[in-house]
Amino acid sequence: MSLRRHLPHYMMIAPFMVLFAAFFLYPIISGFFYSFHDWNGARPPEYVGVANYTKILHSRDFATAMGNLAVYIAITVPLGILVALGLALLVDSFTGRWANFFRNAYFMPVVLPAFLAATIWRWIYAPNFGLLNVALGWFGLGSINFLNNSSTMLYSLIAVDVWVSAGFNMVILLAGLKNIPTELYEAARLDGANKWQQIVHITVPMLAPVLFFVVTYSLISAMQVFDKPWLLTGSSFTSYGGRRNALLFPVMDMMGRAFGGVKFGEAAAYGFLLTLAIVTVTALMFALRSWSARK
Amino acid sequence: MTVVTTRPTIWTVLKWALAILIALIALFPIWWMVNVVFSMPGEPVSLNPRLWPTSLSAGIEKIRVIFTETEYLRAYGISLIYAVLTIAGVLTFGSLAAFEFSLFDFPGRRILFGIILLSLMVPTAVTIIPTYLLTSQLGWLNTMHGLVVPGLASAFGLFMLVQFMRAVPKDMIEAARLDGASHFQIYWHIALPLCRNAMVTLAILTFMQTWGNYMWPLIVSSKPQLYTVGQVVGLFNSPLSHQTVDMVMTANLLAAIPPLLFFLIFQRKIVEGVAMSGTKG
Repeated sequence: MSLRRHLPHYMMIAPFMVLFAAFFLYPIISGFFYSFHDWNGARPPEYVGVANYTKILHSRDFATAMGNLAVYIAITVPLGILVALGLALLVDSFTGRWANFFRNAYFMPVVLPAFLAATIWRWIYAPNFGLLNVALGWFGLGSINFLNNSSTMLYSLIAVDVWVSAGFNMVILLAGLKNIPTELYEAARLDGANKWQQIVHITVPMLAPVLFFVVTYSLISAMQVFDKPWLLTGSSFTSYGGRRNALLFPVMDMMGRAFGGVKFGEAAAYGFLLTLAIVTVTALMFALRSWSARK
Repeated sequence: MTVVTTRPTIWTVLKWALAILIALIALFPIWWMVNVVFSMPGEPVSLNPRLWPTSLSAGIEKIRVIFTETEYLRAYGISLIYAVLTIAGVLTFGSLAAFEFSLFDFPGRRILFGIILLSLMVPTAVTIIPTYLLTSQLGWLNTMHGLVVPGLASAFGLFMLVQFMRAVPKDMIEAARLDGASHFQIYWHIALPLCRNAMVTLAILTFMQTWGNYMWPLIVSSKPQLYTVGQVVGLFNSPLSHQTVDMVMTANLLAAIPPLLFFLIFQRKIVEGVAMSGTKG
């Protein structure tokens, strides 16, 4: 009786739920199973306990990838958000057509397919005839091998990354700026606050929830960076990470183990380790927020 | 008096200069790509950095060569079909489910929706390998459905549509029911038309995402017959490719055109869609 009454509801959600269960829930569960097995996709999986996990944790590539990731995140996330906030404030100070124009111009790199940003920049970074090196030449500076010198590679990636992500975060921050009541600024002006004081004491605190989202989202996506370093280094499954693995990141390492080394159990375990790291960072972010809210 | 009038102008000039400079940085790489394509072949790429296009016909000729003499056109078609099928599926399945989750109550609604929301926080890194293995076990590698189907249950799309469908007035649904409309008719004739805007926004965002997707096609369609634009562009740019810079840039530009066109037409919807995903998510 009750089932019959509710049947139409279940029929409407059934297509989504079936796909969701098959291509989201099942892979997570099966991935967890594989992560404790040695499996190359052909032979039957062989139970190995936590061997996959310990092997990854002790591998040199994992240490390199995590080290690169730590430096990358420590620079790209704060820098990207600072630039995005600057852009949002800049665009917000214009009105009408020009506000729209600058917003769209800054957003344009986001619109490009993600894989394309990396490929275009590879040409700009190219040694000798690349645009950037030609520009350096004008100032009498020598050619820099941006993508093949292990001390500059990471920064070359960060530049591309900020070029793309700034516009994306800017749009989100702009929406947040629009929600700040103008009376607050007027009251502050009457109290004699200058522009800078207004930003520090009104804009940033009022933007806090949106900033929190942007920081958390940037962290989560930065931890899974793949397309850009993969394409900047011209990687393939047999050779990736660039010179001296200077642009080796966890997801690249995981994909390499799966499709280069054909070790699916190990790759699945890698996914869980990375997820654990991401969940930890996200949880820390939320803890930090509730701690600062209580203060 | 003079201080009051001149100081703002200095700041205004600086502000404009900064805004224009940043716009140049943001747009120049795209503009440069256009210039390399629309110039005579053989001109040095950037010893004299090309600041404007010099030859329209040469650019058209390069595009013709790419389309007729390489695999590019097929990849274009495949990416387009991949995107269209994904959009159709995400919108259909997402809106059907969103209709129920937002407007009705039934046993299990809260827990199911809770699981879907939770899934938004699960990184792709953990699902991509097992999803690939499942696709492979189903025998779907190198097929269009292998490319499309695993991406159809979009939790993000469902969440976005639920936000919009919540605004559908309950009275309208009751009135339609009293008039004898079936459950599906209410969805089709009332809920869908009312959230057309959200559907369009979701379709555009899904297009951008699918067109730019690199990782999933890279592992699922490893045969040249099913290469997407992303993969072909990757080949053109690979260190082993024997293409000239002109050809590589043409390949790059062609990959950028559909999303750029979409943006020029739907800029407002795209920007609002991104902003909304941030402020409501």
